[in-house]
Amino acid sequence: MLEVVDMAEPVDIIVRAFVFIGILFIITKIIGKKQISQISFFEYVSGITIGSIAAEVIMGLESKISYGVIAIIIFGVVTLLVDFASLKSKKFRDSAEGHGTVFIKDGKIQEENLKKERYSADELATLLRRKDVFKAADVEFAVLEPTGDLSILLKKENQPLTAKDLRLKVANEKEPQTIIMDGKIINDSMAEAGKTRAWLNLELEKLGVTIENVFYAQIDSYGELTVDLYDDLIKVPSPQERPLLMAMLKKCQAEFETFALETESEQAKKMYNKNAKRLTEAINKLAPYLNG
Amino acid sequence: MTVASSVNQSVATLKNIEAQLSIFALNSQDETASRTFHEVMLMMEDIKKDLQARVTKLELEEPQYKNN
Repeated sequence: MLEVVDMAEPVDIIVRAFVFIGILFIITKIIGKKQISQISFFEYVSGITIGSIAAEVIMGLESKISYGVIAIIIFGVVTLLVDFASLKSKKFRDSAEGHGTVFIKDGKIQEENLKKERYSADELATLLRRKDVFKAADVEFAVLEPTGDLSILLKKENQPLTAKDLRLKVANEKEPQTIIMDGKIINDSMAEAGKTRAWLNLELEKLGVTIENVFYAQIDSYGELTVDLYDDLIKVPSPQERPLLMAMLKKCQAEFETFALETESEQAKKMYNKNAKRLTEAINKLAPYLNG
Repeated sequence: MTVASSVNQSVATLKNIEAQLSIFALNSQDETASRTFHEVMLMMEDIKKDLQARVTKLELEEPQYKNN
């Protein structure tokens, strides 16, 4: 009798563990990324409960598997229903998922709201420091999200400098496409970037590497190829076309100015000057794209 | 180096610039970038034409330096 129990229990645990791994996997797949990020209060509650039920049923051999499965499915289905209902109604959303509490407004700490959420000044300071803010006076606006994170808006003078602040014209860049991974060409990304294998072979030849030696390769927004090789001792030249083009434009512009000074014909001088000016214009126009 | 030959060299550089711009115009994934490269390429074409006209004139004036 004793021997039978000894054999049956481990087998039972193994079966239960596999069953619940399967169920948890399926439930989280169905509910999706939202469950994992636990943005709302409701997902947080259902997340910990589903986990606890599974653990309880796997280890507590006296409880039935089917009861555990039913409980988990109910939690999963209710979470899903709450998600759909939240999409439909703003009112429902506010009560089920909660909404943020304003902690700092117009640069002033809202003591009433801190008290309402039972946060001390020390805890507020901790949350601010997590966002790399050590001085409360630097913050214009801060909200405590339903997840317990603090989102902050710094005062304009404390925000990082952007190209827009400098009134600098910068080129827009598209996401780079990864076209080789582990030495294998990824056809989807090649199509996305509008490139053929012939083009790739030519570019690799220019760099002097074979495709088998490439661990990782990407195409940037300008169609330039950058590669990482398995052999880290080989130095691969970085793309030089854009700086080179800029250098050629500047050289050309300088030559036109020299010609303008050297020539004796009035008409030619005018032509050279006009075109030198146009080249300067072209250089300015291309600068955001070529100096990247 | 004669004037005609140095101007000819500039024509070659301009051709090179034009070709490179055309490559960038075709390869750029961003539409504004692509358009800018194309516009500047057309500008280079105009400049190149002006310069070529000057070369022709120089060679007429100084046929002894004509570049073959």
